[in-house]
Amino acid sequence: MRLAWVLVTVVVAVVLQVTLARFTVGGRWVFDLVLVGVVYAALQWGPVAGMFAGTIGGLLQDVLSTGVVGVGGLTKTLVGCAAGVIGTQFVLVRPRARMIIVVGATIAHRLLILVFYTMIDSAQAAWHWSGVPWTAILAEAVINSLVGFIAFQATEALPGALARGRMSRRSSLSRRSW
Amino acid sequence: MPQRRTLFLLAVLCLGHVLLISAQVQSKSGLPLVEAVAFGAFAKAQSGTAAISDGIRGLWSHYFALRGVASENEALKRQILELQGQLQQEQAVASSARALEATLKLQESVPAPTLAARVIAGSPAPGSLTVTIDRGSADGVAADMAVIAGSGVVGRVINQPAPHASQVQLLIGRNAAAAVTLERTGAGGVAVGGASDLMLSIDYVSNQADIQVGERVMTSGQDGIFPAGFVVGYVQRSEKGTNYRLVKVKPSVDFSHIDLVLVVLAKPAPDLNAAAASGRSGTPPSGTGAPGGRGRGPQ
Repeated sequence: MRLAWVLVTVVVAVVLQVTLARFTVGGRWVFDLVLVGVVYAALQWGPVAGMFAGTIGGLLQDVLSTGVVGVGGLTKTLVGCAAGVIGTQFVLVRPRARMIIVVGATIAHRLLILVFYTMIDSAQAAWHWSGVPWTAILAEAVINSLVGFIAFQATEALPGALARGRMSRRSSLSRRSW
Repeated sequence: MPQRRTLFLLAVLCLGHVLLISAQVQSKSGLPLVEAVAFGAFAKAQSGTAAISDGIRGLWSHYFALRGVASENEALKRQILELQGQLQQEQAVASSARALEATLKLQESVPAPTLAARVIAGSPAPGSLTVTIDRGSADGVAADMAVIAGSGVVGRVINQPAPHASQVQLLIGRNAAAAVTLERTGAGGVAVGGASDLMLSIDYVSNQADIQVGERVMTSGQDGIFPAGFVVGYVQRSEKGTNYRLVKVKPSVDFSHIDLVLVVLAKPAPDLNAAAASGRSGTPPSGTGAPGGRGRGPQ
């Protein structure tokens, strides 16, 4: 059941990513909703779920884009595992704490990708690091953390809102019967 | 601390990824079959989500955001009138060019056929400058075909297209390049993308070339992908460098708003390119980017 939820999270994240990325092509607003989904899965269901989400999400991104297949998967697996471990070690109930995790995961993810590409193609190491858009990475971290904040708040508020709706319907029905 | 089972699982997954990467690094290629199947399958979902998002946008733009449409309509009517005048002038120039071609017994320069396509998705990997269009191999689209918009060159088709979708590498992407020529001076070079400011730079332009800011940059057709004569952009900055001039070009296409594009269905014939290039001074070096190959690496 947990695996099914992880799969749903990742697929929804990938579909949202490609749909929204269409409107930001060539723009300065870069975001990685798949990474947000991976961190969400890791914090919600633990490091194993984070690893699976990272593997599936990363590989999906790799095969659908122009990168070496496996680099995104490996990076997201590591990030998902780390986020899951941090989530089990610390009490991360406050939204601010979770946002910090997303910011850290975004920066770590970008740096790991650069490191892996440098290892794969050491002759082009300088080229890989020369044009690193640091401001874009920071902007991505901010956007990802905001999206993560909304996702965490929404998923936390949704069951309560549904329960309240059910309760109010039930109480209005009982009033009508009298 | 994580459990032993978690660490074992992490090690297995990492090993799997490393083996996958090393297989590609050794073969110097990707996983064409897996990528084609995944892209084809996902393209259907992308078409669906594009239809939904377009529906929402259409609902807004066609019913709610109609303020100022009357004045816009007037302005467009005036623009059509001006364009009709320009078209007549261009037709006159074209007919005289055709007459000259006939007189000089040159091969007729037939414009390449194009196919309109809609952008249905961006790249799933952030920062990767590719888009997905809703035309594929069933519509006659093949790898390395040029993709243009009304205002200029957009990019080229990469990888093997799915039956009804193709991936387009944008010209501003890190591994993208096109052979170009400067309209006024005729100097040639290679326009390459990948700059963090999303501008293009032209490599291999001689320091002696007199390049002015605002000069139009066109495709030269020498790369075998982009037919000659399409607008790439306008020179934004030009200064002398150590070996070659440092030229920055602002792309003519607004890459943040690409909805509809045209796929150029025919590739330029090599002999035509050579004929076109022979009349120009400062021809750019041959071989741009990696036609046929895919740019692999972080964007």
